[in-house]
Amino acid sequence: LFEGRFTDGKTASSEDVNVRLTSRGVEIHRSASIEPLIWPYGALHVAEPLNSHSIDALLTYDFMTGATLFVPEGTFARRLAIEAPHLTAKAQRWRHAMPWIWAACAVLLISSLVWLADLQPSRAIARMLPDSAREILGKKTVESMSEGRRTCSTSAGLAALDELVARLSAASGSDRSFKVIVIDWPLLNAFAAPGEQIVLTHGIISKAESADEIAGVLAHEMGHGIEMHPESGLVRAIGMMAAIDLLLGGSGGTLANFGALLAQLSYTRDAERVADKHAVRTLREAKISSKGFARFFKRMQEAENELPIGKAITEINILRTHPLTEERRRAVEREPDYPSTPALSAERWKALKDICKPPPAPPAEPPKDT
Amino acid sequence: MDQEYLARPDASRPEAEPLILSWSQPMGLASLAFTNAFLRLVTLGIYNFWAKTEVRKRIWSAVRLNGEPLTYTGTGKELFLGFLIIFAAILVPIMLLSAGVIFYFGPESAAANIFNVLIYIFIFLLTGIAIYRAQRYRLSRTSWRGIRGGLVGSDRAYAWAYSWSALLIPFTWGWIVPWRTTMLQTLMMQDTRFGDRPFRFKAKPGPLYSSFAVFWVGTAIIALFAIGGLTGMASFAKQPIQVTEGSTTQTLKIIALMYGVTAIAFLFYYVLSAWYRAKQINHFSNHTYFEGAKLKSTVTGAGLVKVAVGNFLLTMLGWAIGVGLLILITGMTSNVLTGETESIAARLSIFAGILVLIAFSGLFSPFVQARNARYLIENLSIEGEVPLAGISQGADQGIKRGEGLAQAF
Repeated sequence: LFEGRFTDGKTASSEDVNVRLTSRGVEIHRSASIEPLIWPYGALHVAEPLNSHSIDALLTYDFMTGATLFVPEGTFARRLAIEAPHLTAKAQRWRHAMPWIWAACAVLLISSLVWLADLQPSRAIARMLPDSAREILGKKTVESMSEGRRTCSTSAGLAALDELVARLSAASGSDRSFKVIVIDWPLLNAFAAPGEQIVLTHGIISKAESADEIAGVLAHEMGHGIEMHPESGLVRAIGMMAAIDLLLGGSGGTLANFGALLAQLSYTRDAERVADKHAVRTLREAKISSKGFARFFKRMQEAENELPIGKAITEINILRTHPLTEERRRAVEREPDYPSTPALSAERWKALKDICKPPPAPPAEPPKDT
Repeated sequence: MDQEYLARPDASRPEAEPLILSWSQPMGLASLAFTNAFLRLVTLGIYNFWAKTEVRKRIWSAVRLNGEPLTYTGTGKELFLGFLIIFAAILVPIMLLSAGVIFYFGPESAAANIFNVLIYIFIFLLTGIAIYRAQRYRLSRTSWRGIRGGLVGSDRAYAWAYSWSALLIPFTWGWIVPWRTTMLQTLMMQDTRFGDRPFRFKAKPGPLYSSFAVFWVGTAIIALFAIGGLTGMASFAKQPIQVTEGSTTQTLKIIALMYGVTAIAFLFYYVLSAWYRAKQINHFSNHTYFEGAKLKSTVTGAGLVKVAVGNFLLTMLGWAIGVGLLILITGMTSNVLTGETESIAARLSIFAGILVLIAFSGLFSPFVQARNARYLIENLSIEGEVPLAGISQGADQGIKRGEGLAQAF
């Protein structure tokens, strides 16, 4: 027999009662003159799930709205936990968590199936984007990546670039027409943006020893473009962010920061390998030696090793987007020799190196198609 | 003026009783904290809504009125649905619209900027609604002796007052704040019910102003010192930075010093603001009436700081455990930490690591919440007597879901 407090749920007053745990349920004796109330265990709820630390229990009953029974005794809580195990914290937690554990398993299973079957849903979605949308996306990417820097455009330099792009496009085995621009930026970088747009920094051109190196880089970025890597990367990043937003209870607001997202495209090792394969094939078709491409990798490795700590932070981009340079260089070096001609004549190569020469006459010219 | 609301003998009313508020320390919070983290982990974070609910049940139960506990009757499902609806109805449309605007007009375009401003205004206007509705949900899910609390007014009226008065803060150099908080508290308390009986709130902002003046002047002095110190150091750091070892350490030292100055300034500000907050809590409580009784609060700035310091350390410890597990998991497989992130094992371990971090962030939040509640309750008492038998159940407001907006922001 336990002592407790009972409220009828009609007013905020309470009365002393005696309570007994019986096989039929919790028996509440309000006073000697009234029949005891019996609350069957199955229709009971506790205010605080019962656990081994419980010092009391507050019960409510499905069929007596608002009525509460409070028994301030630990032994009552423990006895009740035996009679009505569904009121324990453990039982309640598993009841609430179980459906979501199954859901989590299903999500993991489906993701791994999608991954194992190499379905690449982001790529399938990217392929559905209309050309006009890809072009706008590309423009935005270029805009946010170049951070307002000048586009280089001496006429001789553009002519040289045109020649090189035309030669590579013809050999690429794809009917896409690529737009390539050079940005006045000392950073060593090159990237492909959605909509067959490619950006070279002046840094990468001025560090190169021959046009063959630049041809290799361009062919590699064209490979990304042909495979729609920039587009699928974007779709994947958006999907990931939406998922993380959902997980974190929507506190991220990450998708709103679309501009930053565009600037953070990075590719997987597989994507780089595929783009390298495209590059090697394109170079061979164009009869440009792949030695230049291999030399470019060597230069990147040197640049990686030389970077002082302070500069590594600003140039971390190239480290991240082009991992495992050594492995990729070896793969290119393994290519057999074939007859080749220089990617550009000495004169044209000089013109390309000088593409950023005259300082801009303000206002800066808009990016030009090549 | 106090006397007006205090108990008066009245033969026609039921017998009044004194009310004694106490705190009964909940036990087993550590095992609850770790269990919740584990369940968040295996449910990819979704269990958080139920975790939160169980913590609330524990903390509400720890508050005793005449020895009988408050009850939290909310459910994880309500929180989950509340969040889901806000996610689908507000967050996703904002994201899509924002992406669309940027897509068509460009990230730096005027249209994108205008759109961003509009979004901020929209969120700003919704903040008042979110605060009011969160409070309404929690009150409607709080009961004592089976009698529910409630908030019966209009969320829009509150949001309107909240918004226009917030706009005036910069124009009054902050001096509207005591008046504003008093007004908002008045709106909230006027609408607050226990059962069918209203709370009354009769605080005037006047008495807060002397404390606020001290807080304001103190903050200004701290800000002046901090800005002076920082500009002095920044001018040192401005000298051209060469990448030699000596100059790098020099620059790093100055940067560390700048962080130090900011941290110390923040510390002073925090202590000062806690002191003011204590004054405000006491002032508001001491002018809150219910039936024949009146609240009496005795919190101090030092007490609030003590609670906050402990909570800060607990939170840091939770993060340290999360980050430690992250490093352990990613470190076990290959060399993720040195930049190798492409192998299957590395990717899996990164995924698992992030999941662990999400699950374990806020690990000790049950303790943090309990400490906050405990301090407030142990320094709060109820003076006077209340005719409890005269309080009936209030109308059910039919609130089905909880706190979606407040969670989203």
